[in-house]
Formats: sequence, C-alpha cells, structure tokens
Amino acid sequence: MPGQLATVWKFRHFWLSLAGMDLRVRYRRSVIGLGWSMLNPVVMTVVFCVAFASWLGNGDWRTAAPFYLAGLVVWDFIRHSAVQGSLTLLRNEPYIRQSPLPLAVYTLRTSLGAIVHFAFALVVVIAASAILNADHLTPFYSLWAVLPAAVLLAVFCWAVTAICAIANVFFHDTQHLTEVGFGICFFLTPIIYRKERLTERGLGFIAEINPVVPFLDTIRDPLLTGSPPAPMAFATAAGITVLAVAVAVAAFARFERRLIFHL
Amino acid sequence: MSAEIDLRDVHLRFRVRQATRVSLKEYLVRGLFRRSANPPIDVHALRGITLRVHEGERLGIVGHNGAGKSTLLKVIAGIYPPTSGTRRVEGRICSLFDIMIGFEMEASGWDNIRFRSYLQGETRRTIRAKLAAIGEFSELGRFLDVPLKYYSAGMLVRLAFSVASATDPEVLLIDEALAAGDASFQVKARHRVTEMMRSARLMVLISHDMKAIGELCTSAVWLERGELKRVGRCEDVTRAYRSAMARPGAPVGAAA
Repeated sequence: MPGQLATVWKFRHFWLSLAGMDLRVRYRRSVIGLGWSMLNPVVMTVVFCVAFASWLGNGDWRTAAPFYLAGLVVWDFIRHSAVQGSLTLLRNEPYIRQSPLPLAVYTLRTSLGAIVHFAFALVVVIAASAILNADHLTPFYSLWAVLPAAVLLAVFCWAVTAICAIANVFFHDTQHLTEVGFGICFFLTPIIYRKERLTERGLGFIAEINPVVPFLDTIRDPLLTGSPPAPMAFATAAGITVLAVAVAVAAFARFERRLIFHL
Repeated sequence: MSAEIDLRDVHLRFRVRQATRVSLKEYLVRGLFRRSANPPIDVHALRGITLRVHEGERLGIVGHNGAGKSTLLKVIAGIYPPTSGTRRVEGRICSLFDIMIGFEMEASGWDNIRFRSYLQGETRRTIRAKLAAIGEFSELGRFLDVPLKYYSAGMLVRLAFSVASATDPEVLLIDEALAAGDASFQVKARHRVTEMMRSARLMVLISHDMKAIGELCTSAVWLERGELKRVGRCEDVTRAYRSAMARPGAPVGAAA
C-alpha cells in the first residue's frame, strides 16, 4: 500500500493534468463556464421555494433557499461521485492497457473534477446564505468547522467513486442502478425537509441509517446557523468516511489485479 | 542495479465473453439455469513460462498468430499480472506496443504530448526540456496546437511514436507490428528504434521477420499456444519455427 501511494504521488502530474483538461474541455464552449455546474441546484432551489412555499414548514424563502441549496450541493457532490465514478475505469481503459499504474490514479482524475465543482458550489452557497440571511456574517462564523467537514466529504466521495468504479467493471449495470438508487434516496434524505420531520412521524431510523445525514449536519447546519456542528455528528461523519475508505482500499487490493481482464 | 527480466512458471488465465457488457439480465439468466447468450470462454494464454533475460541480451519472440507473444510482452511490461508464478523486472521499461491508444481527442497535440509523457514518468520539470524535441521529431508543426480530433491516422501515429520513443529505456519491449506513418516517417522511426535498441540495456522484440531476429537479437524463444516450445540461439529457434510453420496443419489461434 505505501508503495502504491508513493507511485500515485510520483505520477501526480499525469492525473492532475488530465483532471485539469477535463474541466477546461467541459466548459470550453459555454458562456457562463463553470457556472453551468451550479445551474441545476440553483434552479431546483427556486423550484422548491416556489412549490413548497408555505406547507413544508421551512420558513419563508429567505431561510428556505440556503437550506435547499446547501443540501442539494452536498447531495450532488455525492451523486456525481457515484455516477461519474462508475464510468472511471471504463473511460480510462486505454491508459490502463498501456501502463501498469495503480488504478487508484484514475479515480483521482474523476474525484478532482467533482471536488472543484463542489468547492465552487460551496462558495456560491456561502455567498447566497450571507446575502439572504438577516445576520450576514452567519456563514463566516462557522467556516472553520465547515472546512474540515468538507474535506471529510471529499475523501468520502473519493471512496464512493472508487467503489462504484470497481463495481461497474464487473457488473455493468452499476451506473444505472446508482442513478435510480440516488433518485429514490433523494426522498429518504432530509434535503427538502428537515430531519425533525422524520422523527415526528416515527421514521427517525431513516435519518439514523442514512450515511449522507451526518455530512448534511456537519456542513449545512453550521452554514445556516453559524454554530459549529455537534461533535457526535462530526465523529459519525469521520467514522463513515473511514469505513468507506477501508472498503475502497480493500476492493482495490482484492480486485485490482484481475480488473484489466474484465475491461 | 542491472536490467533483468525474470519470469518463473508464469501462468496467465482469464475469461472473455462475446459481449463485454455483463448485465443484470445475464446474472439472472445464469441463475435460472438457462443457457446464456453471453457465456464466458476460459483462455489459458500463458502456460508455465520460465524465462530469464540478462543485461546485454536481446531476445526475439517468434510464434504463430494467437500464440501469446503480445500477452507475454504485456506480462513483462507489468500490464497483465500473472495468475500464478512470479515476475521480476529490473530497469526502466519502455513499451513500444499499443501506442495507438490513449488519446485525448479534445486536447491539443502539445497537451497530449504532455499527458503521454507524464504517463511515462516525466515530471513538469523534465518535460520542459523534451517538449520541443518531441514536437520537432513528429514534424506536425502548427497542427500541434490543434485538438487531436482533427488529426489523420498517420498524424496520430507520428505523435504517439514521437512521445513513446522519447525515453531512455533500460528495458525495451517492441512489438514489430508497430505502424509508423508514411514512408519518410517510417525511415525516421526505424532509425530511432535502432538507436534505442543500441542504448537499451536489454531488449525483447516480437517479430515475424526471421531475418530481423537473426540480425538484431542475441537469442530467441518460440512460443506456441502459450508454451515455450524452444529457447536458444536465433538460428536454431527460427529454423525450428520455420520448418514447423511449413508443415500442413500449423496451429493458429489462442490457447483456449
């Protein structure tokens, strides 16, 4: 493993430059460039604000909009990592056939693109929250706590990318199943409603077992309320991240040698 | 550290399917005991290969189509891990095979030169010095600023070969079926390959040209259906191979 990490570092120019190219090419011909990646969450936020204006109990649109946006941005990051991640090894098949690099290198190419989008989106969320909030400095108070949580989320998303990438090589429906799965789980995750709604209806266990909830708690709530996340939430998020990374590393260790024969 | 290739009892087995996409339906069909429309085929590509190539040696590999020559080269390059047995290769490997894959079509010629060089282990610092030389060797001029999707096949070959041959190899692996562009570039490419052969500490060459094997190699092996049929001096191996191929019913196809 340490040898592999050293190799990944040694070939950092390779995956860094490819990730950079991916970003440049994606927005080359568009006028608003990277802004396209924000279009979907922003439009969905507007839709939610309008559609759920009074009856979902999220308050008026000034409070609701940052709530929806922050949740959507975190959700999109994880979903993008899973869905795009599952294509990673298939997309990079020519390089895999040419060079015996550790396959984790290609997952880093995908992850880096997703991380850049997330970072940009986070800036927009902070800006929106600052503008719409009565106390404009709320989001800035808790940035010191949000950033480590964001780093944890990035590592978790890398692990998700790696796991989906390996799964999709053996089982080609993974990508489609992930899309469908995320579509379903969207409604089982407190993004358009608050977590308390589930507990009120005796469905609190959904929030307990949903791995996305701790990340929402540690990133969204501090940005909106200004107070740091509960240590328990942070610890849970860290625990989930460690578990995901362990599964990803184990999957590479077990399957890496045979993957090329299944491409 | 001297350059060396050491393969001990290497076996390579894998499964291929007619259609590479394995779907949920495929799993269900197998579970229901119906005959699958996409059954796996077991391939035993390399059988018990034991080979040692020392520094200074130039090994030629001959064999029929589908014997496993390219597979063996890929095992040496580290791309295919052996199913059993051990593989040990010392020295910086340069693979001159399969160079026509791995292009980023939306990126320019210069960008692709960078990506492929980084894949070969160059860093930002080392590539700065080589970039101009690689561009010049390819003779693509202003086209290097243009995305690869506008290139012709010959231009892609020039680009790929220019980058692949810009290293200082210690272990040089060549598959002779290396397309090399138009006539004038072929001459250039041949010169470059000859130079690389001279400077490499160890070379493995796959060829169907017995004369080339005799001229360029110090020893040869004959691979048939994944097994080493003959190992030894070039003349002995190529003579045995030629007489076997001249007989009717010569084998073709992989070790299935």
